[in-house]
Amino acid sequence: MISNACKFDLVSADLAFDSLRSSQKNLSWYIRPLGEYLRNDNDLILQEIDFDNSWASIWLWNFLLSENERLRSARNKGEKIIGCMKDLGTIPVMAYSLENVRAFYPDGTWWTPCVMKLSDGLFFVSTTQGCDISFCPVRAMLGAFINEEHFPIPDLLICSTGAVCDDFSAISQRLYWLGYDIKWWEVPRRRCAEFHEESVELPSGLIVPRIQVDFIKSELKRVFKILRNFSRSADSDIRLLSDGIRKANQIRRMIMHLRNLIFSSRRCPLPALEELIMEMMATHFCSDREECLLILKALTEEVERRISLGQSVLSEDCPKVYLVNPVSDIRMMNLIEDCGLRVCGTDFMFTHALELIPEDIDPFDALARMVLSDPMVGPAEDRCKHIIREALKYRVDAVVIVRIPGASHCAWECKSMSEKLKAILRIPVLDVEVPTLVDSIESTLKSRLEAISEIVHASKSI
Amino acid sequence: MITVGIDAGSRMIKGVVFDWDTKKVISKSSVLQGVDQTKLARKLYDQILDIAGIKADDVAGVVATGYGRTRVDFANNIVTEITCHARGVLFYKPGTRSIIEIGGQDSKFIRLTREGDIYDFAMNDRCAAGTGRFLETAAERLELTINSFGEKALESKNPAIISSMCVVFAETEIISLLTSGVPVCDIAAGIENSVASRMVSLTGGKIDKPIVFTGGVALIKGMHNAISNAIKDNVELMDDPLYTGAVGAAIIAVKMWKK
Repeated sequence: MISNACKFDLVSADLAFDSLRSSQKNLSWYIRPLGEYLRNDNDLILQEIDFDNSWASIWLWNFLLSENERLRSARNKGEKIIGCMKDLGTIPVMAYSLENVRAFYPDGTWWTPCVMKLSDGLFFVSTTQGCDISFCPVRAMLGAFINEEHFPIPDLLICSTGAVCDDFSAISQRLYWLGYDIKWWEVPRRRCAEFHEESVELPSGLIVPRIQVDFIKSELKRVFKILRNFSRSADSDIRLLSDGIRKANQIRRMIMHLRNLIFSSRRCPLPALEELIMEMMATHFCSDREECLLILKALTEEVERRISLGQSVLSEDCPKVYLVNPVSDIRMMNLIEDCGLRVCGTDFMFTHALELIPEDIDPFDALARMVLSDPMVGPAEDRCKHIIREALKYRVDAVVIVRIPGASHCAWECKSMSEKLKAILRIPVLDVEVPTLVDSIESTLKSRLEAISEIVHASKSI
Repeated sequence: MITVGIDAGSRMIKGVVFDWDTKKVISKSSVLQGVDQTKLARKLYDQILDIAGIKADDVAGVVATGYGRTRVDFANNIVTEITCHARGVLFYKPGTRSIIEIGGQDSKFIRLTREGDIYDFAMNDRCAAGTGRFLETAAERLELTINSFGEKALESKNPAIISSMCVVFAETEIISLLTSGVPVCDIAAGIENSVASRMVSLTGGKIDKPIVFTGGVALIKGMHNAISNAIKDNVELMDDPLYTGAVGAAIIAVKMWKK
């Protein structure tokens, strides 16, 4: 059944499930009505959000909510489970190169309380381990390792350290001292090349010293050697990794294409919440590449169909906003749209995982360059430049910077980014903290978001 | 043309009946916010119409604002308090470039262009620091009403330093100061200065003039001085600061009706 683009609630989504499914061929085994996740897993928040009404989006949600189940299934088939931590986009590329290996991000558990609301107690468990509310919500991962009720405990843990998030470093070190064997690899803080230094251009366009790329390259080679011990693959490192990069780029290309379609379309063809989850497929949902490609294809077809028919999930006059940082409560994505705004540009802190990895150079060198493009390993100034480029490209009317409570990078960079963006873009910039559960401050969040909408409308009516 | 503005704030609901032809507020009243916000707002609406001597049919439009704006079920439109306060201030003080508004639950700093359009705003985060609630809690701890708190603050010649922004920690600090024998008037003045300095941090240090101070907290004696001293500049005080948002809402109702 093909219907007009709109959003619907959980009850409507489940009522429409059979008719949506009827036109589909070769359904993936894990697909079920979303209400089952509420009934079986207590994903309470599902009953409070609005979903996109396409089959592709229902599939996407199933993919999001079933990752732990799919990982268990892979393990039962004899695959080795690799827990990648913090690097967001690097180690999975290596895993794509190897047989019998499946990588995922335990970090993704930070979303579990946001999706499951208060039903699972992950924060409580992490608090008992010394990681309290003063830490970023990624501390939920610690609770999941301890209670073993979410993802399967990985056969191997690989974690980047050095110029990464302070909170994550503290949490992963706590995990290490609890007895989990973590293989560390180091990322230096990105800096500009000095005049006398040999320099290298990153996929993001930044110029860095060759010495930094070479250092990461050696770290990646060391990690790849560890990974190969878990795999049956017999080819050379270079050939294997080149293949992994090609596979990763396939996903990245599709995400970037879809993202561009959504943000540059005159009407809004996909809600912000599904767009966010779609982008996260580049990192958090890397464990199932083939499935990921199929979902991206289905989403692209749906978005193209809607664009060609002029369909929109929002009213046409919604001011366009650029969203900085992922939200701690997924309901915030609905709230932004409920307040009359359309998300047309995003920097969810893993922009490096969306950029194509060079395929025409040494694959370790290419991957090292991608690592150094990570917004978190460099100055906020670089991040600002990227946001400005995209904000201008998508002609946004305002910027919304979301602060994640407890996340140290938000404390030190959001204010300065806000000032910089205001000065350069000369559009309203809202800098607001979004707690893990927005209930307590929903009314004040609404006031701020609606005010942005009013300011933009007023400026356009002059 | 008669319009009505209802400002359903966190502590009080304020309402005005506004006559666009004479450009005057013809009646106004307020009521303490409570559990049944819709019922309270409706009662206030009836009351201000009664004072003005007009019937509901004579009202061209009602705009509700404030954190409880969605509970005002008889409003034709809802608009945020940021826009309404800006409209209210500009109506009485055209040319204003910066607005400081401190209410019961939040504080705002609004920047305006020369043409009178909002181009930026900042609000306090979710804690009570720098809001009327902070002052109320402090007044309770000093066994004063909010009105006598302001009067007491005016007696101070040596305001205490209150370093805590958090209302809970500030209470502890107040107890400590009382134990040390610091006069109540000095503590009250110190609390007002603390709220004012919190407000300055919200401005980010860049404030275009003229600056206007409004909102319910502007009624508390000493706060205007505290804000002016903290900003180190002349800050104008709205004549009837409690009703600025409601007046702004009524003016927006006129504009919406004309559209």
